Amino acid sequence: METILRNTRPTARQMYLDPRTKIFLCLTVSFVMLAGDGMGTMRYVQPVLAIVPLVFLLLLKKPWIAVYYVGMYIITTTLPYLLLPHLPSIVNFLFTGVIAVCTQALPSMSMFCLLILTTTVSEFMAAMDSLHIPKKLTVPISIMFRFFPTIREEYAAIRDAMKLREVGSWRNPIEMLEYRLVPLLMGLVSIGNDLSASALTRGFHAPTRRTNVCPIGFHWQDAVAFIFCMVVIVIFSLSLLLGW
Amino acid sequence: MIQVKNASFKYENAISGAAVEDIHAVIPKGEVVLLCGESGSGKTTFSRLINGLIPSYYEGELEGTVLVEGQDIQEVELYELAPHVGSVFQNPKSQFYTLQTDTEIVFACENIGMEKADILKRFDITVESLHIQNLLGKSLFALSGGEKQKIACASVSSLLPEIFVLDEPSSNLDIGTIQELQKILLSWKAQGKTIIIAEHRLAWLRSIADRVLFFKNGKIALDLASDSFWEKTTAEIHNMGLRAHSRFYPEHKRKADSHEKIELRDFRFSYGKTPILNIPFLEVPEGAVVAVLGDNGAGKTTFARCLCGLEKKGQGTLMYKSAPYIGKKRINLCYMVMQDVNHQLFSESVLEEVVLGADIPTDEKKEKIAGKILSELDLLEYKDAHPMSLSGGQRQRVAIASAVASDKEIIVFDEPTSGLDYRHMKEVAENIHRLSSLGKTEFIITHDPELVAACCDYFVFIESGTVTHSGEWTSDNIQFVGDYFNLI
Repeated sequence: METILRNTRPTARQMYLDPRTKIFLCLTVSFVMLAGDGMGTMRYVQPVLAIVPLVFLLLLKKPWIAVYYVGMYIITTTLPYLLLPHLPSIVNFLFTGVIAVCTQALPSMSMFCLLILTTTVSEFMAAMDSLHIPKKLTVPISIMFRFFPTIREEYAAIRDAMKLREVGSWRNPIEMLEYRLVPLLMGLVSIGNDLSASALTRGFHAPTRRTNVCPIGFHWQDAVAFIFCMVVIVIFSLSLLLGW
Repeated sequence: MIQVKNASFKYENAISGAAVEDIHAVIPKGEVVLLCGESGSGKTTFSRLINGLIPSYYEGELEGTVLVEGQDIQEVELYELAPHVGSVFQNPKSQFYTLQTDTEIVFACENIGMEKADILKRFDITVESLHIQNLLGKSLFALSGGEKQKIACASVSSLLPEIFVLDEPSSNLDIGTIQELQKILLSWKAQGKTIIIAEHRLAWLRSIADRVLFFKNGKIALDLASDSFWEKTTAEIHNMGLRAHSRFYPEHKRKADSHEKIELRDFRFSYGKTPILNIPFLEVPEGAVVAVLGDNGAGKTTFARCLCGLEKKGQGTLMYKSAPYIGKKRINLCYMVMQDVNHQLFSESVLEEVVLGADIPTDEKKEKIAGKILSELDLLEYKDAHPMSLSGGQRQRVAIASAVASDKEIIVFDEPTSGLDYRHMKEVAENIHRLSSLGKTEFIITHDPELVAACCDYFVFIESGTVTHSGEWTSDNIQFVGDYFNLI
């Protein structure tokens, strides 16, 4: 029978990559973007890293998000430098810091979202298992994978409920937060309980080694991604050590 | 083979469920047992004794012995029981782990460490026997409640257990999907599996169940062969606090019609390029209680959301007292009581909840108006209680009270009775009556024939996004709705 379980190679849906490669890429991009100071060689390396999420967005055929991403990135990198000379220094002091963080966090956050979007819970568990990472660590993370869409669903329902009551406008932010978070957390706790009951009755806590039907494995594209990451890491270390 | 001997169980945390006492039952292999009783009578607790969630997951005091396939549930771990007992739960949205249909079906097999080739074989068998080829390769969030329930069945079925335990699986399903669930159960029965099913809706199990256990106050009050159970009259079944299924006949007909009408014009909504809703013109009498009927996916929920002005892209005009209401403006006129009423309770006391968002100038006046509404809805004694400490029916009433306080004229109920027993269904019908005596117009989205019979005096039938039938209870319409409900 035709099923994704019988796939042997990662498809476009997985960005053609093994989950482990994606995690490595995500970590490399986040770390270098956030830890790099944008000086010396980093001035060239960081924009290159910012292109990585863009490539993936194009691979996933999400042109509009890609355009949005490029726009955001250009705004956060250029706008502050255009405005800086015309503003009082106290504003610059507050303003540039925020913008700098945005510039550097944008690609990292995008990478993280892409990782979540293109990796299924089963693939993630298979990847972690092959890296011999203990279940105690992988189970909570895999539940997190599973919970993002649920949170979105629950949140949408609560937002509708608030609209109907015409409560919780931005004028009163504390109230707005309370009205949103309290029902959201109550709902998620009960979903979480049901979910664990259902997973446990299906042998989730069995001490035997889990079989992973999901095919994971490295191909040439993974090698390319690995080499790319290694090069970036080496340049980053050199620029730190030698002040390139 | 399941043997329950003098079993008693009390939850450590009373919110988790109702206690059971002195339960004695032997269920031979291949028997299909229906567990019925009011909410809180202990039937879910009994089902948890068999699938081992008690005592492994829910903590409490267990006395007596429960043997499942010869194993004492006090001594085995849940994962050891998993290959023998498969469990399907009530809520379709909270029983999936992997979020994709294919991987979800094999999830249990993977957990217990079966060989990969075996798993793929099991996968093929399961998909074929449950006829779910069309659901493969999909995200679980894209499925309807009924489709999710089918995947839940497939996911436990793949382990080929001898015993299936189902806890109110049909609560969120429409009549068409219940038929499909019925087929799955029949195929399990034909394979000689033991099935334990706790349910409120009984009619669809008539051809499946061999034996009925009736629970009352935590005890098995009746243990009958199903034939003698079905011989009972509707009144007898209602007296037991259970839902009965008789030929649909409405209790309320509209009296001499007021001439005011509410008009819906050009209600349209599409998702991308797929049209979901297309209602050129619909007229309902003001003050009516309108049943909105139709299969899952026909567009009932979208209709309700457009009506309340929650869909930004929903087009159409609503004429109320000859004033037009377009799009978001309808939020000021309409209110929706959601299926999960917990989403719409925000405050720390009932009184606060009712006045929240209501446009009343002074505090004194607020208290007075709220007091009046609360007494009308029989909630005055709870005015200082936390909404979450109330029962389900009372919470629903709090939500209704807040709608009344903010002067909403049209109230939409989204499946208000899914998973409720007879007494609670009656309570909801009573709530609807009270609103109607306040002069509100109500739309009730429902799959529940007894609720429609108990409180609706008008109906709208939606099929593929358009209204195909609507009207008062003329004999033709009663016939039509009766036939629709009689499919199972």
